[in-house]
Amino acid sequence: MALSPLVVPGSASGERTAATAKSKLQAASAVTSSSGTPNPNNGPPPGSGGADLAEQMNEDEKQKYIKGKKLGEGTYAIVYLGHVKSDPSKLVAIKKIKIQEDYKEGLAPDAVRELKHLQELSHPNIISLLSVFSSRDQNLNLVLEYLPLGDLEMLIKDIEGVRYGAADIKAWMGMLGRAIWFCHENFVLHRDIKPNNLLIAADGGIKLADFGLARSFADPYRVMSNMVITRWYRPPELLFGARSYSGAVDIWSIGLVFAELVIRNPYLPGDTEVDQISKICALVGTPTEENWPGVSKLEHYAVPAPATPIQPVAHYNSMFGTAGAEGVDLLMKMLILDPRKRITARQILEHGWWKSEPKPTKKQNLPKKGGGLEKLGEDLKRGPGVLDDERGTKVARKLDFGSMK
Amino acid sequence: MNSSNVITEDDRYRSSTQFRLWSFTPASLLALRSTTNQLAADRVREAVRRARAREAQSSADASDADPESKSRATSTLPEGELDCLTVEEELKLIVFYCRQTLQLGKHLNLPTDVNATAVQYMKRFYTTNSLMTYDPATILRTALFFATKTENHYYRLSKFAEAIDKTKPEDVLASEYLLTQGLRFTFDVRHPYRALEGAVMELCAIAEGAIPNNGVAGEMPRNMDYRCKVAHGTAKEFLKTSALLTDVYFHFSPSQIMLASLLIADEELIRWYIAFKLGGLQNAMAQKVLGTLADCAQMLRTVEPQMQSPAEESKEARTLAKKLRKCRNPEKIDLVALQQTKRGGDNANDEKILKKRKLEREKVAQEAGDLFGPGLKKP
Ligand SMILES: Nc1ncnc2c1ncn2[C@@H]1O[C@H](COP(=O)(O)OP(=O)(O)OP(=O)(O)O)[C@@H](O)[C@H]1O
Repeated sequence: MALSPLVVPGSASGERTAATAKSKLQAASAVTSSSGTPNPNNGPPPGSGGADLAEQMNEDEKQKYIKGKKLGEGTYAIVYLGHVKSDPSKLVAIKKIKIQEDYKEGLAPDAVRELKHLQELSHPNIISLLSVFSSRDQNLNLVLEYLPLGDLEMLIKDIEGVRYGAADIKAWMGMLGRAIWFCHENFVLHRDIKPNNLLIAADGGIKLADFGLARSFADPYRVMSNMVITRWYRPPELLFGARSYSGAVDIWSIGLVFAELVIRNPYLPGDTEVDQISKICALVGTPTEENWPGVSKLEHYAVPAPATPIQPVAHYNSMFGTAGAEGVDLLMKMLILDPRKRITARQILEHGWWKSEPKPTKKQNLPKKGGGLEKLGEDLKRGPGVLDDERGTKVARKLDFGSMK
Repeated sequence: MNSSNVITEDDRYRSSTQFRLWSFTPASLLALRSTTNQLAADRVREAVRRARAREAQSSADASDADPESKSRATSTLPEGELDCLTVEEELKLIVFYCRQTLQLGKHLNLPTDVNATAVQYMKRFYTTNSLMTYDPATILRTALFFATKTENHYYRLSKFAEAIDKTKPEDVLASEYLLTQGLRFTFDVRHPYRALEGAVMELCAIAEGAIPNNGVAGEMPRNMDYRCKVAHGTAKEFLKTSALLTDVYFHFSPSQIMLASLLIADEELIRWYIAFKLGGLQNAMAQKVLGTLADCAQMLRTVEPQMQSPAEESKEARTLAKKLRKCRNPEKIDLVALQQTKRGGDNANDEKILKKRKLEREKVAQEAGDLFGPGLKKP
């Protein structure tokens, strides 16, 4: 029965909100008492006076964490290792948003988007935002869960060090599928899915990260930017300049991550946008009015002649056969040219592949990044390149073979 | 709309920051606002005392210095015993400035969701900040600009500032950081607009027979098709004004707000709809729902569903704004200078530049008056 929009927030929520208000009040009284009797000559200089309630709450958050060494740097942020002050064994990643020299319009859009969406999305396969605070110089710091085992791109590329098989791919794809289903269910498009935005947790689980390009899609007719998604993973509708699109853009990207996991090479590594379109035409099929009604009306529609027919199952079987018949079927549905016909996130989760053999690997048994100084001995139950069973060996060989094509 | 969608809609709401951080009981919200008001009033008094002491000090140090500079300095400080705003007065003024936000948004041709989000930013910001500390005429411009970013309605800052009289880009940006902090870095606001479209679509489908009447609520209301359309329009007006200006977002879910506004529009029709959905009106669930919706509707009715302030409200706001001018925290007036000191920018140490800016700003603030902030440019 559809009663839920009418449901009154229950007693549990009442308690929760009361508690929130209470902690705010405690913060407030702490400020009042600490400010004490003002001394006109000794008082703080203008502008640095006692803290506002909001300032005090920020200070409380900041006090909970200790920042450590630098882990890495991206275009708009520097990432540090950190830990919870009261429990140094609880590690976190602290992402400090850089003040951009060339962006003069305040808080950068990437940071705004990442914050907006991560604050709302809570799912085991989406990186969790634990807290946000600002440092004295007003730089924003995002406290994220610490994901020490690199990203999927590192695993894919380390062909010598990391062997994996169909069951492992199924496990990774399952986690990715659930993550994107959850985003779409919450009306959020990620718009930058690629292997190096899929980080790996200490327990082997995959976490979708980097929401710097994400946006809500409450209104399907609203004009949106087509300058999103890293080129190799960008769907044809965006390359043709579509300004209104849907969750199908993320599905295309997921399909290419799937393909890349199998062949251990990017499937459509275009050098330019034009080259990207050529590669799609050659390796997936040429978008035409026949297979995609309306496509020729898109602003930047242009395809090389003559048109290549949609690649048949045989093509996919020869390249991606290790994923099994169901796996190939799913991949083909993710790479359907017409976004309206492309499989949806929900349909992905209902696909037969998940039920077919082999069963997905348990996440604690998934292969992890190998070798080097970063190796976390205790986490690596099996060494890099060492396979745990017969099946794995066969699959891995086939996969390696695929990657040489 | 099928039932499973509706259920996930509710689950989604419960995981939102709007529910987790920005929902209050009326008592806890009042307590929070009272603390904020009290704290700010204390701090205004301290700051004014400090400023007066400094002034006395400097005039004693240079008793025969340039008399003009002395009088100019004193003129920015309120005189006599400070009469601070009460919580109730702040609340009335906030409604007034939220209307100003809507009008500015309309002037700039911004879409409904940007305006709606900006108003909620104002309301959220002023739960932990006082009008006496941060000037609402300044914050509202920042809230509107920031909402264009969070709602993906790209608006160039220079254009934005240009479209508003006597506003420079740095005026808009100076309080952006303060705003985000006051929002506790949560930017997502859940509005009832989509829920309204869903419910109206369902009502129309029932009216047209596309969804069969299950009979639990008896015969269909007369003239249902037409009434759905009228109710849709009325409810929309309430959602675009009263729902934003009252506290309903702090106390009710988007679906509840949506249904309450429909209930105001056509009570008989919506009671029938609720009976249709909940298997009659006599069961405990339906009774609870009706109770909640009645509370929400009552709150919605406290503010006129129009963008302009009614004359009475406007008059009162003028009086209060005058009072506010006399109890503002003198240390928080020049937000641009304050911002630069905090950021530790290159110019921050340059006393001369700072002083020049300050004088400029004071002049502008005086010219424009505090009530409306800088005026709107004629489009
Ligand atoms: N949660 C995390 N746990 C551990 N390390 C992280 C985490 N997040 C980021 N890192 C490390 O910090 C580096 C920088 O991350 P960041 O997300 O800022 O940029 P990026 O994704 O590498 O690049 P881009 O600028 O394209 O977004 C990453 O390459 C990674 O090594």
